[in-house]
Amino acid sequence: MAVNQGLSHLSDHFLMITLVLYFLAVLAFAADFAFGKRSSAEPAEAAVPELVTAGAAGAGTAGATAGPAAGPAQASAADLGGAKASGGTGRPAAASRPSLRDASLWVRAGLGLTVLGVIAHIAGVVIRGLAVHRVPWGDMYEFVIAVTCVAVLFFLGLMFRYRPYRLGLFFMAPIVIIIGLAQTVIYTPAGPLVPALNSYWLAIHVTAITLATGTYVVAAVLAVVYLFADRHTRRVAAGLPVRNGEVFRLLPSPERLDQFAYRTVVFAFPLWTFGIMAGAIWADEAWGRYWGWDPTETWAFITWVVYACFLHARVTAGWRGRRAAYIQLVGFGCLLFNLLGVSLFITGLHSYAGLS
Amino acid sequence: MTETSRMTETGAAAAEAGQQAAAPPEPTPPPPGPAYGVLGWLRWGWRQLTSMRTALILLFLLAVASVPGSLLPQQGIDPAAVQQYYASHPGLAPWLARLSLFNVFAAPWFAAIYLLLFLSLAGCVVPRAYRLARSARALPPPAPRNVARMPQSVRHQTGQDAAAALAAATAVLRRRKFRLRTGDGWVSAEKGYRRELGNLLFHLALLGLLGAVALGGLFGYKANRLLVSGTSFANTVTALDEFHPGRLVSSADLQPFTITLNRFAASYVRSGQLRGQPTSFNAYLSYSAQPGAANQRYDLRVNHPLNVDGVKVYLIGHGYAPVFKVTDGTGKVVYDQPVPFIAVNTSGLTSEGVVKVPDAKPDQLGFAGVFLPTAVDTGGTLESVFPAPLNPRVSLISYKGNLGMNSGPSQSVYALNTAGLTELPVAPRPLAPGQSIKLPGGAGTLTFTGYRQWASLAITYDPGQLPALIAGLAALAGLLLSFFIRRRRMFVRAYPGPGDRTVVDVGGLARSDPAGGFDEEFSRLAEEFRVAYAGETSEGKTD
Repeated sequence: MAVNQGLSHLSDHFLMITLVLYFLAVLAFAADFAFGKRSSAEPAEAAVPELVTAGAAGAGTAGATAGPAAGPAQASAADLGGAKASGGTGRPAAASRPSLRDASLWVRAGLGLTVLGVIAHIAGVVIRGLAVHRVPWGDMYEFVIAVTCVAVLFFLGLMFRYRPYRLGLFFMAPIVIIIGLAQTVIYTPAGPLVPALNSYWLAIHVTAITLATGTYVVAAVLAVVYLFADRHTRRVAAGLPVRNGEVFRLLPSPERLDQFAYRTVVFAFPLWTFGIMAGAIWADEAWGRYWGWDPTETWAFITWVVYACFLHARVTAGWRGRRAAYIQLVGFGCLLFNLLGVSLFITGLHSYAGLS
Repeated sequence: MTETSRMTETGAAAAEAGQQAAAPPEPTPPPPGPAYGVLGWLRWGWRQLTSMRTALILLFLLAVASVPGSLLPQQGIDPAAVQQYYASHPGLAPWLARLSLFNVFAAPWFAAIYLLLFLSLAGCVVPRAYRLARSARALPPPAPRNVARMPQSVRHQTGQDAAAALAAATAVLRRRKFRLRTGDGWVSAEKGYRRELGNLLFHLALLGLLGAVALGGLFGYKANRLLVSGTSFANTVTALDEFHPGRLVSSADLQPFTITLNRFAASYVRSGQLRGQPTSFNAYLSYSAQPGAANQRYDLRVNHPLNVDGVKVYLIGHGYAPVFKVTDGTGKVVYDQPVPFIAVNTSGLTSEGVVKVPDAKPDQLGFAGVFLPTAVDTGGTLESVFPAPLNPRVSLISYKGNLGMNSGPSQSVYALNTAGLTELPVAPRPLAPGQSIKLPGGAGTLTFTGYRQWASLAITYDPGQLPALIAGLAALAGLLLSFFIRRRRMFVRAYPGPGDRTVVDVGGLARSDPAGGFDEEFSRLAEEFRVAYAGETSEGKTD
């Protein structure tokens, strides 16, 4: 079927709008670090210590669900204050979580822009799919756009579920860079699929890989922030001089970041496993073998093994914490190498990038 | 309660350590002294092998060992690329070959890593399976004396008496499908056994996957066959271009089908930026499953293989086969057939091939040719700009002399051994279909009569396929169970307190909760208890 050029251009416009909105969101999140404290005289002040203690062990949520009097012993005044707000009913209430209203104006602006951006992002992806009459992740450009869309959606989920608002900057900055590069360096006009990709397994295999990759992006950002936060905490504990202490005070605790990262990988790993399996079934359908050590397959396997290492390391004494985070980043490095290095520089059966 | 003593400031991680006590944990046993004896050494070695640290290192090694397999050309995937590597790195290549680096995934050292890993896995998983089977009916341990020392705990007070409060809490736990154990003034409960089940299922499924791969390697086979339109072949070893049998496969095991390629059709994007990109390939086949069976038709496409009695036939390549007719110096037609040419680029399908005419008299003739489907003159040189045959041309270099086919090593049909040949001075004029070259010195005439298309087929039989799929699905199911179920215990103790009030201590412990989140569940359950016996909270803590 012919490509609908009008829709294809419309998709490009939406994705351009997405980039602008995300960029503004980054500015807003950055502004929060720069001016956030001064600008919000109202409840935001209370929200700051609350975020920190909530970070310690999810005490905020525990306090909320157990009712006011059951509030954790070491909960801060802010936390109890929040709990009291919901007290009296004795019912679990979300009110004592760091609420959106407690966040600074800048954070709210950043989140709002991100939400608008992701709507434009989804529209861009969907319209591209309508333009080409297939799932819109058939070449490298489409894949990167879809992966970033998943990453932003997952990040927003994390934001609204656990509210570590100040991670916004660290998420959205790389996303903006990736999308910017995608639109300038690897942009590919909408087109039909080569026969090798013309299968419903494209929808299954690549969708799973896209979802997993987008989620791994989130986990990798969390690991990097964790490593910095952990280093900061150690230096403080050891009485060493620290820089940017203010920034780290506003971030979730290292333990919390580690837990976020782990949950994210736990979400992505089965998807990745399923993606590889679906790929194997497709390979069997297309090439007559379910596994052939094609470079892309090999690196998908290596990535799988390294993330499996991460999952095991995190439950093995002596490997937790920093080492596990480094392993996770190595896994993400393998993922990136597979996406960029193998697709672009090594010729294999998966050379579909649409780039030459 | 060994788990409690392991609890440190990070409750979740430490709880996991408690679970890992099942697998031989760190620190590793002291190094063996001379008193160990052979058996002691063996036991020590086994314990080392099955430790989590060793498994982690082996996993890493497996990842690292796979890397050269993706960076260097591999014999099993692209033998031509290996040849090329030998040609361009004559000094290095033999050394790499000695280290099996052109055949990484069949190398002994690669096998050593994964076999050790799977042995380590088995050594860890099998005892755990036993333990799980035994614990399937076991009751949770009694509640500790001081429930408030659990990592999660809360103290309630209620006006109901101790027995009523306990009964209320027990009812909640029962409704939540906890496994219960009751005693004098306490209840303990446990849930989440399926986590360990999932974990075991995952690791056992990986062992099963290895078995399935081995099954395919022993009893399966792979073959290739290039087929020009209008010709057929039977699935016998001699008729196949390439045949890679499994270790326990003989030529008698080949399924006796016959395939004819009636027609091959390809279509391409005709305009726009993506001009020349293929949109479909169709190989119209007819086949019979065995000699004498009825002929059936099949439209073979990429992603749409043909299945003949469990053997699958795939379309993996295509190209052009120009047809040449050669009359030799004596005026006799000594050659009239299509010759498959191999594409050297994908955008215009420029293809190369050779014509060997050993029966020509007085001299043998040979031609090296280039086929251009859509030839366009770009500043003096001809190039093919489109993969479909819109303006087909063949240009040839002609040789006469000795083709060297009767002696020496066997030759490739795609290469000309020019050692015994002399090039003939023929004007380099590209031929359109129907045109001829008259060779100088009365050596003969070659006519480019037309072209046909060919398709290359892969034929595979792999009995390990279905077992591998089942093992893969089981691994995935196990993974999901072990990730999303947490194993946890709840303890409740009720005793008389100040006045005629009853104190209820509720404690909780996640035995495996690396993702965290038990604190929330504990709070929810404790709240349900509190409501059930109409109490109020006096103190609580969560770690």
